[in-house]
Amino acid sequence: MSILLDEGQQAIATESRRIIDARENKAKALDLIEASGEYDAAWWDMCREQGWTAVALPEEAGGLGLGLVELGQVAVAVGAGIAGAPFLTSSFGVADALNRHGDQQQKARWLGLLASGDKIGAVAFAEGQNPLPTKPSVTFSDGKLSGTKPAVSAGLHADIAVVLAFDGTKSVLVSVDLSGVERQRINSFDNSRGTADLVFDDSPAELLQADDARRAALEILARQAIITAHEQVGGAEKAMLIARDYANTRKAFGQLIGAFQAVKHRIAELYGLVEIARANALHAAANADGPDLIKNAAAARIAATDAYDTSARDSMQLHGGIGVTWETGLHLHQRRTRTLALEQGNLLFWEDVLVNELAGEKA
Amino acid sequence: MTDAYEAYRQKARSWLQSIESEFGREARRGLTEEQDLALGRRYQSAKYAAGYAGINWPEDFGGQGLSHIEKVIFESEEMKFGVPSVYFGISLGMPVPILMRYGPDKEFARERVIKALKGEEIWCQLFSEPSGGTDLAGLRLKAEQDGNGWRLNGQKVWTSWAHYSDYGVIVARTDPTVEKHKGLTYFWVDMKAPGVTVRGIKLAGGDSHVNEVFFDNVRVEDNQRMSPVGGGFAVAITTLMIERYIATDSGGFGPHLDLFVDLAKEVEINGRPAIEDGRIRSAIARNYAMRAGLDSITARAMLMMQAGMEPGPEGSLNKLVAVRSRQKLSELAIDLQGNSGMAFEPHAFVKEDWSASWLNAPTGRIAGGSDETLLNTIAERILGLPQDHRPDKGVPFNQIPA
Ligand SMILES: Cc1cc2nc3c(=O)[nH]c(=O)nc-3n(C[C@H](O)[C@H](O)[C@H](O)COP(=O)(O)OP(=O)(O)OC[C@H]3O[C@@H](n4cnc5c(N)ncnc54)[C@H](O)[C@@H]3O)c2cc1C
Repeated sequence: MSILLDEGQQAIATESRRIIDARENKAKALDLIEASGEYDAAWWDMCREQGWTAVALPEEAGGLGLGLVELGQVAVAVGAGIAGAPFLTSSFGVADALNRHGDQQQKARWLGLLASGDKIGAVAFAEGQNPLPTKPSVTFSDGKLSGTKPAVSAGLHADIAVVLAFDGTKSVLVSVDLSGVERQRINSFDNSRGTADLVFDDSPAELLQADDARRAALEILARQAIITAHEQVGGAEKAMLIARDYANTRKAFGQLIGAFQAVKHRIAELYGLVEIARANALHAAANADGPDLIKNAAAARIAATDAYDTSARDSMQLHGGIGVTWETGLHLHQRRTRTLALEQGNLLFWEDVLVNELAGEKA
Repeated sequence: MTDAYEAYRQKARSWLQSIESEFGREARRGLTEEQDLALGRRYQSAKYAAGYAGINWPEDFGGQGLSHIEKVIFESEEMKFGVPSVYFGISLGMPVPILMRYGPDKEFARERVIKALKGEEIWCQLFSEPSGGTDLAGLRLKAEQDGNGWRLNGQKVWTSWAHYSDYGVIVARTDPTVEKHKGLTYFWVDMKAPGVTVRGIKLAGGDSHVNEVFFDNVRVEDNQRMSPVGGGFAVAITTLMIERYIATDSGGFGPHLDLFVDLAKEVEINGRPAIEDGRIRSAIARNYAMRAGLDSITARAMLMMQAGMEPGPEGSLNKLVAVRSRQKLSELAIDLQGNSGMAFEPHAFVKEDWSASWLNAPTGRIAGGSDETLLNTIAERILGLPQDHRPDKGVPFNQIPA
């Protein structure tokens, strides 16, 4: 499939970037860091008004019927502006799971609400250090879910979660209405993610249809990872451009610091990481329905994590003292790099998944 | 539109398959360089006859009059077969296209171009000198007026394939009293002319395809001049930029990653297959992600060209990123084999053999623009960062401290 953006896709990219640039609010983002349990409600309203919640959902469910390429372009813009909440990705994950594995009733109940953003979704697969446990400790029997899913992104605010659980013999995917479920808020270095432990205690849940639930979960995670990779690309590019602009302004020893090769070469290296990550992310999005979904998603994730980590790190360094202040806010990127690196499975996980694919073993 | 290109690719592939037994990697095993070159000339002539030489060159110069896209398609297919085309890469890549464009005598140029396409004649590029390669405009070889022609005196170095070359393009200093890049003039030279001496330089990998070339009072006629007097720098830059998009290899022209995976399955670390070792897995995954990214960049560039657009500048990343990583992966591949990794076959192919790949990787980071030069180009041209401080700016060449 083509990895050239068509006119419509380009319009989505520039328009979302324009809107986000216009509403950038660093002060708000800084406040949120210290406010555990809050997200940027105005930011989320903007996502809903713009229809970004609906982009990749099917038309019959009130979505726009577009795909990961389009949502990916929005995610690049969102990443550049540092998202005010994780819901675009987490709600997509839930909608994607219901759309593929839910029955008519489950779809009818939730997809429209997720497309409009009236309801928020969270995906709860990980346990402890394992993004995708082979035998989850959360159990499902007789329509009830029990056990704790720790540190679920968006978990604090979500209305519905898709959970990977164990039914006594095998892994299963279930959806659970979170209205009666206990959440324990987690204080994080990046607080606007709504991270919380979900504590299930005989919570009513519904089985989703998946022959191999773990494989289905991996594929849901892979599609979310492709969106996150785009977000990382946006953040990485932004941090690189901030460094570039500073190097073109700040002087030392009678010249712009950008004229020192130690500075300019470092920024050129960042450019390389960003473009390789962008190419991988776009390729993965454009081929998300193909046979190489997992391989492509893993490559996108690895390249994007590397790009954002390096770009945020080097951008701070190239600013000197001003780069490490609270006010300048480069630490917002620093904080976000780790959050995005952990959500949707860390580098170690995706490296293993990728090598399993390449070496012909099962993930 | 795209289907037509796919059909072209299929046709090219089946032609390549039809000549593989005669010219492919297996046919070349064990040949001396002279034999291999002779095979290469026959391959080039077969290519010409089949319509795969000069794919994007004008028909009246023996070309096919097709687009750049067909050329890149053919070359990316050709790369997989290990044919002996290396002797003609520079010749047909830069000097001959420049002759086609700037050659003063069209009939002469036409004759040369066709012979070069058929592999009968080879051209070299005489730019770099002992005084510096990156700083091209700092070259010293002199061209002095002599009646209605010129006399060349001085030395070039790193000239690839000069020992097999019939002709070359050369940049010389015609005026040392002006700023360095304003006193240069561009000529073509006959490599068999009296006063030209070619002396091979053995490279780190043990072979010697580069040379020193000495010019001792070599006569060139004024109709061998390919730029205005003092206008040689611009033509030199055009020479270096002529092929904006060439077929690239995200493996950095070293072995395919699959070969590394195979190796990691064969050998053991701590009594377990190396493919289960986290360090090896990480290296494989990182390499895959990097190569896949470069491949996608290339695929996107092809699509842009097919759509009549100019490909993005990110295409310039390939050599910088791929060769460095090939170098490191080759080191790791040798380490993986333990002491048996020390065994070395001097005639092994770089694309198949980790030791050959590793020993020859450093040249890939210098030739065709060093890593540092490429980083400067990205920083200045793409990102708009300032130029380096250049103390020789605005200074007449003969007043720059040596
Ligand atoms: C295998 C091979 C084949 C070649 N074939 C040809 C050929 O056919 N024709 C031809 O004309 N030349 C050829 N070359 C020469 C090649 O173009 C030069 O080697 C190259 O341009 C570097 O020049 P140099 O060797 O003089 O190194 P230098 O320019 O002296 O560079 C030395 C080091 O300094 C660094 N450096 C130089 N300037 C800067 C700067 N501004 N900023 C930061 N770092 C800098 C370089 O990156 C390098 O690391 C070939 C070289 C090789 C290795």
